[in-house]
Amino acid sequence: MREVAVLGVGMHPWGKFENKSVTDLCRDAVEAALKDAGVEWPDIQAVAAASSRFSGGKGWGLNGNDIVEEMGPTGVPVYNLSAGCAAGGNAFNIGYSLVAGGLYDIVLVMGGEKMPKGFIQMSGLEETTDPEYLRQVCVGMPGPAFWALLCQRRIAEHGTTERQLAQIAVKAHKNGALNPNARFRQEFTVEDVLNSRVVSWPLRLYEICPVSDGAAAAVLCSAEVARRYTTSPVWVASSTVATAQFDDGVPRGLATVVPPGLTYHSEAATAVKKAFEGAGVGPRDLSFVELQENTVYYELAFPEEWGLCQPGEAEHLVESGETLPTGKLPINPSGGFLCFGEATTAMGVWQVYEMTEQLRGQAGARQVPNAKVALGQTLGLGSNATAVILKR
Amino acid sequence: MTTNRVPVVDGMFAETADGARLLGSKCAGCGAPYFPKSAVCHNPRCREKRIEPASFGPRGTLWSFAVQHYAPPAPVKYDEPFKPYALGLVDLRDGLRVLGRLQVDKLENLKIGMDVELIVARLCADKDGNEVTTWMFKPL
Repeated sequence: MREVAVLGVGMHPWGKFENKSVTDLCRDAVEAALKDAGVEWPDIQAVAAASSRFSGGKGWGLNGNDIVEEMGPTGVPVYNLSAGCAAGGNAFNIGYSLVAGGLYDIVLVMGGEKMPKGFIQMSGLEETTDPEYLRQVCVGMPGPAFWALLCQRRIAEHGTTERQLAQIAVKAHKNGALNPNARFRQEFTVEDVLNSRVVSWPLRLYEICPVSDGAAAAVLCSAEVARRYTTSPVWVASSTVATAQFDDGVPRGLATVVPPGLTYHSEAATAVKKAFEGAGVGPRDLSFVELQENTVYYELAFPEEWGLCQPGEAEHLVESGETLPTGKLPINPSGGFLCFGEATTAMGVWQVYEMTEQLRGQAGARQVPNAKVALGQTLGLGSNATAVILKR
Repeated sequence: MTTNRVPVVDGMFAETADGARLLGSKCAGCGAPYFPKSAVCHNPRCREKRIEPASFGPRGTLWSFAVQHYAPPAPVKYDEPFKPYALGLVDLRDGLRVLGRLQVDKLENLKIGMDVELIVARLCADKDGNEVTTWMFKPL
């Protein structure tokens, strides 16, 4: 395996853009990434694109082909990757693998999405063979209710308070307010969060990520190419993909087995574990983490499930400010999904943008001091998960 | 005019003289339970993969719950006007962990770890005035 560098990154800011297509958003992100890398479009030897769930792609998830047509057909090979909300991370992994395996020297990775209004409807299929349809029609359980159920269990196990949950949203907005690409840039107080309406008890509106439009892109290259363009590239220490274990305690449809132990989100835990192994680093080496917090609950659950802190310690880290950029375990210094809103299939590439800015020391007021190693993670429908560790 | 009771989806649950049951399947080889029923055993370590019809319930323990406070979009079904409802994840005695509505008088009485019983109960009325039913769990 060859060393792989992130040569350039680009982003279209997150928001709602009535008058732009997903390809408009992606073109902005790709042009910015090419410029940042210092390469031209014809230099790109392959494209790994997240297949959008809701927009463009000719209805077939061919969003990589859309961007190739937009930038100018060069005959470049295109890989369109579908992995639910992990699609961006999945596309990154394929782009990384193509360079690491020596097939290509310069690869473009991108993801873009325009989201319909409201909370995400997972499936859209109205078939009694579709587990998500059955969940909605028989039980009446939209996504936020499932997150609420997991959060309620944590409250029972660890005594998490409503205030602690709210503090995570406050922290997110403190960071997001400093990020020019974030959609929601106002700061909140704990009281603001506690006064937002209950969506699914125990979760409130400001504790759940909204949906947004957005696009991000990254140019990956071999070490040999990187040295031609820069003296201080950001390196991909590892990139992994995983799916869930059979005995995972979180049902993906209506039911699962009563698990033998505590196994939640095993796909994410496996992806992160493999990423640590591949990079040859451990939790103590991380300068910060960009994790998928569809709701504040995940900022408590994930760090523990991945061994970044002890069980029951996450609430304390939040309360004592240790998850701020200046703390000992900074989480989502970007402002996270809460401040950007989830442009589902773009998020894995967006994380790479945010991590790269931090590792270059270009994150401005939200900069993590002396950031050297960072972990990113996504989780998607179908029990897809990805992880990436970048370092400088 | 009589009101017909119609299941929200056919073939997923039944009311027996002995209480409600979820209709699924079980692997005779490794014991893994499936709901809804599965054509094959999905346990990657099971070498036998002998699927048989099986029913589950009625007793279990509430693993966790949530209270849905806003009216969710279709295809979720409810009677107008929308009222907040509870749903939970229940560990049945026979090894199945399953989602379901919770039928409770007072939402604040819900408690993780409480014993619950599977029932078949009204979800909503359909446009023809039939009573649409689904499986739910009721605290004991």
